[in-house]
Amino acid sequence: MIPSETVLIFLRVLAGILLLATLGLVLIFLWRDFRGAAETITSTRRPYGKLTAIETIGNTSVLTGESHPLLALTSIGRSPSNAIQIEDSFASAEHALVALRDGQWWLEDRGSRNGTLLNDLPVTQPVIITNGDIIGIGQKHFRVELEN
Amino acid sequence: MTGVTWHVLPIPEAWQHRLARALLVLAGLFLVINTLALTAVQGFRASLWVSIAVWIVCAVTGMLWLERRMPKADTLLFPLAMFMSGWGIVIISRLLPAFGERQTLWLIISLIALLATTSIPNLLSILRQFRYLLLVFGLVLLLTTILFGTNPSGTAGAPALWLGAAGIYFQPSELLKIVLVAFVASYLAEQYPIFRSTDLLNGDKKYYLSPRIVGPILLMWGLCLVVLIWQRDLGTAILFFIVFILLLYIASGLNRVAYGGAFLILAAGISAYFLFDVVKLRVDIWWNPWLDPDGRAYQIVQSLMTFSAGGVFGEGIGQGFPAYVPVIHSDFIFSALAEEWGLLGVVTIIVLIAALVSRAFIIAVRQRGRPYHTLLAVGFGILFAVQSILIMGGVVKLIPLTGVTLPFFSYGGSSLLVSFIILGLLLRLSSGES
Repeated sequence: MIPSETVLIFLRVLAGILLLATLGLVLIFLWRDFRGAAETITSTRRPYGKLTAIETIGNTSVLTGESHPLLALTSIGRSPSNAIQIEDSFASAEHALVALRDGQWWLEDRGSRNGTLLNDLPVTQPVIITNGDIIGIGQKHFRVELEN
Repeated sequence: MTGVTWHVLPIPEAWQHRLARALLVLAGLFLVINTLALTAVQGFRASLWVSIAVWIVCAVTGMLWLERRMPKADTLLFPLAMFMSGWGIVIISRLLPAFGERQTLWLIISLIALLATTSIPNLLSILRQFRYLLLVFGLVLLLTTILFGTNPSGTAGAPALWLGAAGIYFQPSELLKIVLVAFVASYLAEQYPIFRSTDLLNGDKKYYLSPRIVGPILLMWGLCLVVLIWQRDLGTAILFFIVFILLLYIASGLNRVAYGGAFLILAAGISAYFLFDVVKLRVDIWWNPWLDPDGRAYQIVQSLMTFSAGGVFGEGIGQGFPAYVPVIHSDFIFSALAEEWGLLGVVTIIVLIAALVSRAFIIAVRQRGRPYHTLLAVGFGILFAVQSILIMGGVVKLIPLTGVTLPFFSYGGSSLLVSFIILGLLLRLSSGES
């Protein structure tokens, strides 16, 4: 029969080691996760820019906090197949297209029912857009923010 | 790169699943070894081993379910929660065996609630859509407690914070935490454009103290005062207000919100000190417990004793004398842990809670461009953090004692249940639900 004092000491040491192992494991997890996140940020190519949703209240335009990254070919519309899906009953399923061609950004209407606006003017044929332009789709407005 | 955007959160890699499983296995080994030691000290008790078996079944079921049903969710959250709740069950069983059995039962209920929370479709947008209904529900709950509240201990004059029927008691203020964070997050997300309004033509930031900002602060402040005055529930009142101020600060980015909130807390605290005996008592025994160590300051003095008795490595489970601290199984469970596992145990607890909170914040940061989801995740993170700091700081006499539970550890069915529901919501947020 082993004396119970020895058993208790042994169990205490074991419990202590397990606590240390837990600490180590949690720290390894957090460390690897942070490192992974840092690598993702530095390794991915710089984004082209983004479309920032804005809302007009009175005379001021304000940010809604919603924004979407631009892709080389960014389709916009109500259908989930679009790169930017917008929930707006005035938007068509496939509403508009923002595309990078020959170093210029182009905005194109894809035959939408209610039309696409560029700085409050309807877009009838593909037009070149630039930083700060406001694209209107349905009841929503997006500001073009390009990366240089 | 496909048409999907920033909204998609990183999917856990294989090593994250492996480490999460390893953590759960470590937790299981830790609990079994402590149960063995407890058996060596206190003799064999079947209910204790049943509790451990139930914990293992819950851990395995939950892990398998989450890996299959929510493969994209954060992997670390569940093992952390199970580690803490299992440790809580062991220490409660060691202190008061009957309470340990009840806590085990609550663990089963909480796990079912967690799985239900992760299964209901579109839960996050439902919470958002019905926010005013939610708020009314919360206020009715609060009112019902004020009118019909009881205390399970049956002591006259004890704070009546429970709603009870047929021997089952529930603390509505726990449920109110979820309601509060969900409501405030969706309200502030709706007001986000106003908070961050920028004049696009000349780029001026237009910050102003509009009623949209000041109104809700005063409303919340009033609500917390109601909780404080009618219920004598100091901990919940201060917890609600701090969580609300921090959320408002994060949503608006205005320093003056943080300063103003700190001022309001101080003002309320100072006037409460002169108006309410319970607050005065708490502050007095925090400032100098040695004036009355055998009377009113008995609990806090005994709690300090447990910390010194525990030392660096603790006295070992079942070998300390934590029962000198009154109601140690609930608010003071931290001192029981300190006595029997020492500094090592205390550091582990803090790291476990900090890891949980940091996961919540990371989930929030990754919800780019979605204010509601960010605020929801950050709100739950702050809730856990502030609650843990309040009670751990109170137990070691760093700050005046406010009676809140230590999340996942403390005895209390409502607290455990609500913690697990919040965990479920965090899991949903981490898997990128819109």
